[in-house]
Amino acid sequence: MLRDTRLSAEKLSRIDERIRDDWSVEPFDFEEAVAYHDSLPDKKRFAKVLQRADRPLLQPRAGVPRLDDQIALLRHLEGAGGADLLPTTIDSYTRDNEYEKAQQGLENARESGDDTLNGFPAVNHGVEGCRKLIEGVDAPIEVRHGTPDARLLAAVTFAGGFQSFEGGPISYNIPYTKERDLAQTIEHWQYVDRLAGAYTARGVEINREPFGPLTGTLVPPCIAIAIGVVEGLLAVTQGVRSITLGYGQVGNLVQDIAALQALRELGEEYLPGDVTVTTVFHEWMGGFPPDEARANGVIALGAATAAIANPDKVITKSPQEFGGVPTKEANAAGLRTTRQILDMVCEQDIDVDGIEEEREFIEDSVRSLLDTILELGDEDVAQGIVAAFETGTIDVPFAPSDSAKSAVLPARDDDGRVRILEFGDLALEPELKSVHTNRLDRRARAENRTTSFQMVADDVDAISDGRLIGRRGSSQSGGGGA
Amino acid sequence: MSATIILGVIGSDAHAVGITILDQALSTAGFDVVNIGVQSSQQDFISAVEAHEGDAVLVSSLYGHAEQDCRGFHEAIESAGLDPITYIGGNLAVGQDDFEQTKACFRAMGFDRVFDSETKPMEAIAALKADMNITESEAERTRLTS
Repeated sequence: MLRDTRLSAEKLSRIDERIRDDWSVEPFDFEEAVAYHDSLPDKKRFAKVLQRADRPLLQPRAGVPRLDDQIALLRHLEGAGGADLLPTTIDSYTRDNEYEKAQQGLENARESGDDTLNGFPAVNHGVEGCRKLIEGVDAPIEVRHGTPDARLLAAVTFAGGFQSFEGGPISYNIPYTKERDLAQTIEHWQYVDRLAGAYTARGVEINREPFGPLTGTLVPPCIAIAIGVVEGLLAVTQGVRSITLGYGQVGNLVQDIAALQALRELGEEYLPGDVTVTTVFHEWMGGFPPDEARANGVIALGAATAAIANPDKVITKSPQEFGGVPTKEANAAGLRTTRQILDMVCEQDIDVDGIEEEREFIEDSVRSLLDTILELGDEDVAQGIVAAFETGTIDVPFAPSDSAKSAVLPARDDDGRVRILEFGDLALEPELKSVHTNRLDRRARAENRTTSFQMVADDVDAISDGRLIGRRGSSQSGGGGA
Repeated sequence: MSATIILGVIGSDAHAVGITILDQALSTAGFDVVNIGVQSSQQDFISAVEAHEGDAVLVSSLYGHAEQDCRGFHEAIESAGLDPITYIGGNLAVGQDDFEQTKACFRAMGFDRVFDSETKPMEAIAALKADMNITESEAERTRLTS
């Protein structure tokens, strides 16, 4: 039965041996891997670099199939982009544990010279390949993916010298997959976190980063933060001591700053004192304008928000976000745009009205959700989160997973803040719900229409169409408004 | 009008926002929509066409692997003895592709229409009505109310 308790050393070894049968990886040894990590210089120790920084560090997304290309890409982002922290984004077949398909894609890429995979198949490159990558660049590298069962990926990449690993059992299940069972995904991530904890106990601190943006589309801050805290708690149980909680920009300055403050405060409050909590802000994760100049505007707003909210890390976007995976030049440009604005704005002492009130509202909402989760699990957070998703008391909008009700629908209020239009069974106190409802009613009146799914659809398209709020009748494109 | 549309995201892709909105828009426009969801295989689409007598198949893909995922799709549809209208839309290639080239590639694979990720539901609805010879008056009656 699923419990939020630490896996025994015996169970860790047993799983560790079993998962290696999933794909023929070269044998590797924990003691040897610890020694390898010990041989790395301080500048490649992810948690240290992140925790010692005195300004928000910048990290892009990037992953291509071939090793040499990945090294060249990351060097470019370090050099031309000025990235402080580097990523390696894993391809979609690996995320599905389809290592054979990833192998075919890698071989096609090697033969044709084309990028036939949308990321770096780290399991196929193996421990040796990962170490060549770690040695090929200066900055520390995080594994970024979207894998519900990331056990083998974690085993290979941790042994391969990576010291930061994105995701968690909720944030890499609910937004990323249809049929994976949530309780089983939590068990799989208990192994990942326990392995990270085993390295941590040996002095190799593995940083863990729950994926804050979830479905990346108008996610109400209270939902994102509650899930991040739950994943943090689950990781800490397994021995993780460096947690980076994440949040994705929604585009309203006040709400984004308030949410980042709430994220840090609640993280520090709910996670034990010997855990180092850091925060990451993701530049806008929804649809981007199909125009690089306008896309730079979206990125710039994210950078300005980060300058005021001061998270430990910012994940940048590129002006080519609209068209899929960007060129390395565009990716570096997104980093430089962000750095320029961040460094100009962070020198300034800026007071924005309303942040305190919004932060309290978010914190009260998160507490309402977390109280219900803990109650449902009789204080066991693993059981509680499973029960909460089953009952819809916690929910994520636009979730493809069968494990979520996906009954919650968000829309922007008259000020562009993301509110909740349909609650489903979400466990928010009535007085909190009425704030959402009143604010959305106010917008509907301002636009002389009723609140409906149409408002949601308009808001999903608004930023790519050139505005924050999908106002009625304001669409400029010919077929718009649908 | 009782045209049945099979809607889904192919391959390992889990981008659900687009089809959620498309589902709502198509339903509002009067179509019978069977949304098979994300991470659907070629066979999932074919089975849905068979089970629901689908008139059109709308394939969505946003993660860049559409070409691999759709290889042999039209051959499989044909061997099942089916002949639905087929559309595909989204970000169809990894990287910054030339859309005209991508369009030609998917047209050659057998798709009747190919759309980029900027396409609004109204455009797909208009295309479906044109391809299914649904008359203007019917279209008028079922027009989206926004």
